[in-house]
Amino acid sequence: MKLTRRMTLAAFAGVLALGTAMPAYAADLIAIITPSHDNPFFKAEAVGAEAKAKELGYDTLVLVHDDDANKQSELIDTAIGRGAKAIILDNAGADATVAAVQKAKDAGVPSFLIDREINATGVAVAQIVSNNYQGAQLGAQEFVKLMGEKGNYVELVGKESDTNAGIRSKGYHDVIDDYPDLKKVAQQSANWSQTEAYSKMESILQANPDIKGVISGNDTMAMGAYAALAAAGRKDVIVVGFDGSNDVRDSITSGGIKATVLQPAYAQAQMAVEQANDFIKNKKSPEKEKQLMDCVLINGDNAPKLETFALKN
Amino acid sequence: MPNKLTWPTIGLTLAALAGIGLSACKILPTQSAQEESKAPTFNPDRMVEDIWASKVIPYLQQKAGPFAEVHALAKTDQAAAGAKYGNPKKQANSPWTFVVRFEGKIVAANTQSRAATIDVDVDGDGKADARVQIGPAMRGTAIRDSLDFVQFNDFTNQIDFAQFGKAFNGYADKTVLSKLARDGLEGRTAKVLGAYTIEGGLDLPLVTPAEAEIGPKP
Repeated sequence: MKLTRRMTLAAFAGVLALGTAMPAYAADLIAIITPSHDNPFFKAEAVGAEAKAKELGYDTLVLVHDDDANKQSELIDTAIGRGAKAIILDNAGADATVAAVQKAKDAGVPSFLIDREINATGVAVAQIVSNNYQGAQLGAQEFVKLMGEKGNYVELVGKESDTNAGIRSKGYHDVIDDYPDLKKVAQQSANWSQTEAYSKMESILQANPDIKGVISGNDTMAMGAYAALAAAGRKDVIVVGFDGSNDVRDSITSGGIKATVLQPAYAQAQMAVEQANDFIKNKKSPEKEKQLMDCVLINGDNAPKLETFALKN
Repeated sequence: MPNKLTWPTIGLTLAALAGIGLSACKILPTQSAQEESKAPTFNPDRMVEDIWASKVIPYLQQKAGPFAEVHALAKTDQAAAGAKYGNPKKQANSPWTFVVRFEGKIVAANTQSRAATIDVDVDGDGKADARVQIGPAMRGTAIRDSLDFVQFNDFTNQIDFAQFGKAFNGYADKTVLSKLARDGLEGRTAKVLGAYTIEGGLDLPLVTPAEAEIGPKP
């Protein structure tokens, strides 16, 4: 009830701003801002959002902030300056982003957040995020089962500024720490990066040759870790990732990485554009600002059905 | 972070909003934000303890249906079963949850795992119909998700929401499940009030209990 009221006020303020402050040349433009497309996950988001926006008759402005909050702020200025009707944003930090989204809102440009949430409500119109915690618990439960509830393991953590790195790590430990015979011998950040995960895994393995498993905060790091393990002749080590990328799918089907957790990135981005469209055309906000999408465990049983961050039926 | 589920906080916020409606004063929401920041730090275990006996158990008891009836409907129409036996106001993209009560015979038990379970034959055909988690490690957030008065939007972020979910399992483990017998379970009776979701890849519905009793050895 509190939220509905806030949203009504927000929508009202938005309408006022649109009526007075929008530049006359504004075409129906939707800005799509994500982290770097080097990670296929973010690329799938941008591609999904762009396809849906074009389908609904919008022009698009696709930008990347490279997880740099300052750059993100400049890109939001760009989107405002270009007269975007809405911003689809996978943001660069749960706290740092609040001011940037507020700035867009004050300029009459509504934001629809995907993938990562921010630590404020009533600023963005929607926050559609994967239930990373639920997903991490699924991945950790599979990891525990594969490990036989015991043994030494390594955790690779994502980029610290990304709220999902912390959420997934907490979700993993929420499950794993219930098993006292599972011992964490190393925990390091590889910043979501495949090459960084490769080199970190090499040195962790030298220091801890007796490891039995690696649980990774995302798929690109899982790929890097598995490559380092394979190069050291340690294909026996159990590796579990997170995201549901095609690379990890192929690794699973060829007996490499054991499991990952699918985030419906493509569908999520499309849903955000649909909600933006509804807001632009009908002044209608989604019923709830924060919307969670559940993740799905991917292992040998269903990996063949995975394609570009979506499960085929 | 502020604990947004506390009723006094919501009350204050509503009062503040009512104030806006009457006077269009811009200072009031700021005050309510300050009130929120003064709220005690987030303590999910305490929150669950505070509502367990007064709200959680009564809601589950009122919603629960007999296992055979609930599961038959859940298998054909999850939305209808979820609305009737669970939380009709659930998150749009999360699975439906079903609250059940049943009594039956334990036909198998796995107490080697820390995620211990018992398989219960409810209809008397000698075959297991439901798998019940008896802790200490437990999967999922079925209890939280079956309650219509718990909403994700009332929480600061998904970490708080998830820890709140886990706190239900922890409370059930601490007050009920940890006191259950662990040896010679097969052949005994089990009486359960709990919730489950339908997941792919599982051969039996995995029930998270809120109340459970195990009978004496036969």
